[in-house]
Amino acid sequence: MAQSSHGTSTNIGDKIIEHVANSDVMIHFELFGVDLSITKHVIMLWIAAGLLITLGLYASRRYRKEGRPVPTGLTNALEYVVDFVRTGILIPSVGKDHVLKWGPLIMSFFFLILTMNILGLIPLFNYINHGHGGTTATGNVTLTASLAIITFFAIIIAGVLEHGFFKHWKNMVPGNVPKAVLIILIPIEIMSMFVRPFALTMRLAANMTAGHIAMLAIFAPIFILHNAYVGVASVAMNVGITFLEIIVSIVQAYVFTLLSAVFIGQSIHPQH
Amino acid sequence: MDNLLQFDTGLMIWTWITFIIVLVILGTKAWKPMIKALEDREHYIRESLEEAAAARKEADKIALEYEEMVARARHEAQQIVAAGKETAERMKTEILNEAQDKSAGILKQAEAQITAEREKAISEIRNQIVDISIAAAEKIIDKSLTRADNERLIEDALKEYGRD
Repeated sequence: MAQSSHGTSTNIGDKIIEHVANSDVMIHFELFGVDLSITKHVIMLWIAAGLLITLGLYASRRYRKEGRPVPTGLTNALEYVVDFVRTGILIPSVGKDHVLKWGPLIMSFFFLILTMNILGLIPLFNYINHGHGGTTATGNVTLTASLAIITFFAIIIAGVLEHGFFKHWKNMVPGNVPKAVLIILIPIEIMSMFVRPFALTMRLAANMTAGHIAMLAIFAPIFILHNAYVGVASVAMNVGITFLEIIVSIVQAYVFTLLSAVFIGQSIHPQH
Repeated sequence: MDNLLQFDTGLMIWTWITFIIVLVILGTKAWKPMIKALEDREHYIRESLEEAAAARKEADKIALEYEEMVARARHEAQQIVAAGKETAERMKTEILNEAQDKSAGILKQAEAQITAEREKAISEIRNQIVDISIAAAEKIIDKSLTRADNERLIEDALKEYGRD
């Protein structure tokens, strides 16, 4: 009995991984020898981007037309979030003078990640690959790494734009330290330069995947024990997990955005 | 497990393309106008509040100035009244003094005149007495004495009389 249940759980482990992974190629596509296949995560990304662009353009239409609009409804909701990002993330991190310069990037990070996170919670999207598992695009390490690489370059560009090319690299180490300390400090700073985007990548991907794995694992006993009544407890627990995941989706979008903004801010205002 | 951390070049490129599209479209059409509008509104509200505070300060200042002006005017009026009273008082005293001086002068002049008149009368009376005495003596003595003798006698007698 124990042996057979162990065997089943291994199969379920594989099933879970298969469910959350990015293995499903929907349309095979290659350009100049580079595999640009449309996977389910690419489709999730596009849905999120399309939805966000449509919603963003619609909700912000009055800001392009009117001089001093009084927002209502959806516009007001969007403005509330935009102002939250502006006053909660941008102004404390990059400073008031740089809000307009770095605002678009930070806002795009926040809203795109948030949209992808929330879309991943909707169990409707498993139908895009015939019920073969609907996952969160931000649960994919490649996707979060791509975003973190944008942050990586944004940090460098922010410093170079503010202080010039050579001054930016000099700013990375504090000026008033003994030469001996620099021997340790310079490798640490170079390491931290790469660790930061790596941490961003893993934090977002792991958090978004973990929720799905947890939910699937909670459903697993139904199939392991072949007992429908276990499902009552599983469903109840997963309802709770879903609420938790809503919070995690918002928090992780916030954390990724905040840290990106803080790193960019550190590059603009070094040694603070 | 290798599936979870599998690297996918295609997805990376698609992520960058999609992100740049989102960044360009929403950055220019949504985020920038919204951030500008928020900053503008913030600026406008702060400016309005500052303006209101400044206006209230100005009104307070004007009220204070007005009060000061009224107080000053009242004080000035009081000063003017006081000065007027003082002037009137001084003029009264001056007029009184002058009148007194004048009346004293008149009195003195009258006295002097009276004295002069009296002396004149006395000398006239004296002359007449001399004449009458002479005439009487002439009648009595019947020209036994010369007129000069008579005059000298009477003069002596009057001097004696006057000495008493």
